[in-house]
Amino acid sequence: MRDLFRGELVRLTAEEPELRAKQEARWARDTEFHRLADSDAAQLYSDKKIKEWIEKNFEDGFKPDRYPFSIRTLDDDKLIGFLGLWLNLIHSEVWLGIGIGEREYWGKGYGTDAVKLCLRYAFMELGAQRVSLGVHEYNPRAFRAYEKAGFRLEGRTRKDIMREGTRTDSLWMGILREEWMQLQNGGQP
Amino acid sequence: MNDILSGTLVRLSAVDPDEFSKAFAVWQRDSEFMRLMDSNAARLGSQKDSQKSLEKELEEQQLHQHGFTIRTLAEDKLIGDIGLYVVNWSGRDAFVGLGIGERDSWGKGYGTDAMNLILRYAFMEVNLRRVTLTVFEYNPRAIRSYEKAGFRHEGRLRKLLHRDGKRYDELFMGVLRDEWMELTQ
Repeated sequence: MRDLFRGELVRLTAEEPELRAKQEARWARDTEFHRLADSDAAQLYSDKKIKEWIEKNFEDGFKPDRYPFSIRTLDDDKLIGFLGLWLNLIHSEVWLGIGIGEREYWGKGYGTDAVKLCLRYAFMELGAQRVSLGVHEYNPRAFRAYEKAGFRLEGRTRKDIMREGTRTDSLWMGILREEWMQLQNGGQP
Repeated sequence: MNDILSGTLVRLSAVDPDEFSKAFAVWQRDSEFMRLMDSNAARLGSQKDSQKSLEKELEEQQLHQHGFTIRTLAEDKLIGDIGLYVVNWSGRDAFVGLGIGERDSWGKGYGTDAMNLILRYAFMEVNLRRVTLTVFEYNPRAIRSYEKAGFRHEGRLRKLLHRDGKRYDELFMGVLRDEWMELTQ
């Protein structure tokens, strides 16, 4: 059996609160990253505070509806981002959130690789029937990465985000289990 | 849509730790009930302790636990409890546990009715794939009731139980969603 946590460029690893918090505090100083990953106003928190939040999430141990990961490069084991899956246990739907914090790794296929890994994990390990995500209209690089991994555009919330005086849309994407299976099979049903 | 928590004889109601622990304190004095419900030695615990542990369970709102009390439709009397415990979300399998504490309510179809309700809840509301239970060889009334609800015999742990100097098997039963759908159509 293949290792579900290992892709071609990255692997998914456990979250380590201290390291993750240090990196995240650094990534957050890059307001472009913040705007791509989030719709809130950019705000800065100390790595101590972030570490507390991450640790709090782990206080009760594994939760059956929450699957957090760190993203590390295969090459030099560098922590470059994070990824989280939220499983709706009743309806077998998964929400995906991902961020590549290290700028040098943007646009090189690392995010796409991580998304592909988590789709396999969601469908083959968690038994998901669909995976959903939201992305800003002003983040075409992410949008293309999701499309490459198999996501389809399903809808948009028009003009809900205001950035730099311009209103833009939120886009909603999804992929069904059968669609993903077909992709693995070279497009054959 | 029908109210999925009401059957023909009973309904499933919320767990009230105060009410339930008081009823259970009375039921546990009946060692036959305790032996039918649990494989451990029958023992007596305080009402306060069981109330506390129920309150703790409710506070945590555990995702994998769906517990109800059982009340008669005729008199709205609390007669027992039933609960699903999801053991494996990716396999979508849950254990079900059922106890009718009121002796007067044994052998009258209340338990079967409650089991029919929890199966509908498991398959139609929680979208599970299978439901599993264990029952003791010395409890033929329960075994018949589970068979009526659609459970099939799947295996046994031989001579696991020791009661009154004799050894008995623990039986495993299970029902798949597809089987249950066929039965109820």
